[in-house]
Amino acid sequence: MSKHKVLSIIGVAALLAVMSVLPFFAREYYVEILIIFLINIILVTSYRLIATTGDWTLCHVVLMGAGAYASALMAKHFGWPFWMTMPLAGAAAGLVGLGIVYPLLRTVGFGFFIASLAVGEFIRLVWIKFHTPFGGPRGMINIPYVGELGPIDFYEAIPYYFMTLMITSGCVFIMYRIDRSRIGNTFKVIYEDDILAESIGIRVGRYRSFAFVLGSFFAGIAGALLAHRLSAIDPHQFGLDEMVYLLVWVVVGGTATFAGPVIGVAVMTFLFEWTRPLLAWRPLFFGAILIGFLIFLPGGLESLISKFAFWNKKQKTT
Amino acid sequence: MAMFEAKELTKYFGGLAALSDLDLEVEAEEIRGIIGPNGAGKTTLFNVISGVYRPTSGEIIYQGKEISGLITSKIAEMGVVRTFQRTALFHKLTVMGNVLVARHLQDKGGLFRAIFGTNRRIDIEHEEKALEIIDFMGLSDLKNELADNLPHGHQRSLGVAMALAAEPKMIMLDEPVTGMNPTETKHMTDLIRKVRDEWKMTILLVEHDMKVVMGLCDKITVLNFGKKLADGLPEEIQENSDVIEAYLGGEEVAELLGE
Amino acid sequence: MELTTFIQTIANSVVAGSIYATVAVGLALAFGVMQMANHAHGEFFMLGAYVVYVFYALGGMPFPLAVLAAIPTIAIIGLLTERLIFRPTRGNVLAGFMATAGLTWVLQTAAGRIWGLAFMKMIPTPYMGAANIAGAQIGWQRVLIIPAACILLGLLWFFLHRVRWGKALRACAQDPEAAALQGISINKMTALAMGIAGAYAGVAGALLAPIHAVTPYMGRDLLITAFIVVIVGGMASIEGAVLAAFLLGFIHTFVTTIFDATSAVMVGVAFMAFILIVKPTGLMGRVKA
Repeated sequence: MSKHKVLSIIGVAALLAVMSVLPFFAREYYVEILIIFLINIILVTSYRLIATTGDWTLCHVVLMGAGAYASALMAKHFGWPFWMTMPLAGAAAGLVGLGIVYPLLRTVGFGFFIASLAVGEFIRLVWIKFHTPFGGPRGMINIPYVGELGPIDFYEAIPYYFMTLMITSGCVFIMYRIDRSRIGNTFKVIYEDDILAESIGIRVGRYRSFAFVLGSFFAGIAGALLAHRLSAIDPHQFGLDEMVYLLVWVVVGGTATFAGPVIGVAVMTFLFEWTRPLLAWRPLFFGAILIGFLIFLPGGLESLISKFAFWNKKQKTT
Repeated sequence: MAMFEAKELTKYFGGLAALSDLDLEVEAEEIRGIIGPNGAGKTTLFNVISGVYRPTSGEIIYQGKEISGLITSKIAEMGVVRTFQRTALFHKLTVMGNVLVARHLQDKGGLFRAIFGTNRRIDIEHEEKALEIIDFMGLSDLKNELADNLPHGHQRSLGVAMALAAEPKMIMLDEPVTGMNPTETKHMTDLIRKVRDEWKMTILLVEHDMKVVMGLCDKITVLNFGKKLADGLPEEIQENSDVIEAYLGGEEVAELLGE
Repeated sequence: MELTTFIQTIANSVVAGSIYATVAVGLALAFGVMQMANHAHGEFFMLGAYVVYVFYALGGMPFPLAVLAAIPTIAIIGLLTERLIFRPTRGNVLAGFMATAGLTWVLQTAAGRIWGLAFMKMIPTPYMGAANIAGAQIGWQRVLIIPAACILLGLLWFFLHRVRWGKALRACAQDPEAAALQGISINKMTALAMGIAGAYAGVAGALLAPIHAVTPYMGRDLLITAFIVVIVGGMASIEGAVLAAFLLGFIHTFVTTIFDATSAVMVGVAFMAFILIVKPTGLMGRVKA
């Protein structure tokens, strides 16, 4: 095994160790924040998965919402337990993704971006319009909590945290394997030159839709985790503002490497809490950050790190 | 039955006819040159055949099957692959990496293998085939070099290597020797001939270098303003007055032919 | 539908269409000239309303003057946006869009901090009373928007077709490379386009200030509408945008009256998706996208 690989494994293990110990030293308020942070890691990593083919969407949080609503509906109306509704929520979001990706595929670049906004907004408006079953503008409340497993009550923050940590680690691991696989490489090849890819027989459309559906699936899982923690969801949580937040994480972190967006979420979550004293000035601060990064550091923070990383000899920073 | 046929092929962009009622018939294992002044429609022809553009009207028949309207990857799957006038490569991959990507079509592993990808035997097969092609193109020494770092001539060779890696039955080369010096040109020309002789491929060749065209091609089709101007053996084309006219009055052609 | 309601709805539709058109032409122009997708366009509109609030409601300036004051004020904001945000991100539409999304937060927060977040319906209506058409009552304040929009759109048409700089702008929108070869400065054109975008969005907001609740977030819903109009109209087509604006004005107003506001937005958004997917060149069929 190469030096790089050994160091990476040690790094990840250390990170997991820290994450496992952290909640015991933090106040409950911060544990809740960490739970949301872990959910957002799934969200942002799945976004990046889709973006590796070059498709930047504006509907990703809506797909998270699809998973949230699906899980909530299944739990409330059928009484199914979380371990059932969560993967089904992912599947539901994946199916929604499948339904919308084929028309979207006919567009590229900015057209794709805005078309995904249009389709996403339409779905969100459906949730707003129909009180049954979605609860209309007020959304859904009294979503069942995850319940108990023997002596462990997942209503408590720490147990939920560890459950989320395991699920997040699993999802991230799967997405990482896919990123490193032949399929992941094909995604990147498509991004670089989709016409060349087509000419040697790569069915670009098929790969783009696969990335989209896969990303939607994981967004759905994140949605389920959110719904059962908050016990209430509403359409405004999945709107354009939230989507722009997701874009901030992605822009701040960078998308060239797998870890980039995770760095973005981590930094922005930290900043979000740290700047709480700013109160109502906070959005201005984040707007300025977004603008600043796009103009001065479009590669994100990861591009800074790669400049110093000793194992990135071959990579050229553009 | 001809390997490849185009019948009354027409392509309009807005009001402009890039291709107009073009008829073309290519036999198997033929090397057909496509020449014409700039803007004659040569690259458009390739784009239409390979599915990048849909023809406005007309038919494209490959091995007896109508292929107009199919998408490019499907056409490649059926055995028709093209190279590009621009340098089309995956810049961040090595030579070997590029050729391996181009082996995509030949990978029968399926989805499971694509994600969990561990069939050493298939991997080795692909590597060997890729090496074979890299050797054939004379790029062995550079196989681990980044595509971006290659000199221009080798980049174009790599483009051809990638097309070959897809194991086509018909290959369309778009200006393969542009920007090459005489040695590189001779090398590429020999390779193209070998590709037809040893690998039994049918070749469509767009080129401006008249010596290459006249020396390599079995037959030549001349385009002008999207229409077919002439069709025939190299000697016939050289003496065709319309062709000479089209190339700006004749002196240029005479020069190109080295007279 | 009763006749009175019908006439009312028609009148409202024309007013809505006028506003949409005034707002959207600037967006279409900016996008057409150099692919500048301005997420903060709704905030230009919002700031125009605040100009009227400050000059007219607070400062006592006559209403028409306050509206006119919005033109240069927001034009300058447009110019600054071009210089500071769009120029550094030129060539990358997504980056420009996302950066102006950041600008949206900046402007919304700033407006909220400066003028507070409470509903500002206290702008006195300068023109009281209503027109009476076949039994339907339409406030003069609303009616005057129609001729105002017509004048503004007419001026824009004149500028783009008869004035040298305007013609250069159109040339740039159709073919930036050819325009550059003819010696037209791209920077001047992008600045001009964004200046116009600001001016027009701002004056629309100014006209609407007495009618609409003036809040820092009043531009939010308008943004999606503006994008729908521009896209349905054909991304870079000014005429298309005007046509689409009135079409959408009618659709929105009628659907809202017959059903509800949410349904109206749904129809609009579905229309946008449809156009993007099926006919990306929009209603006017221009190739640029």
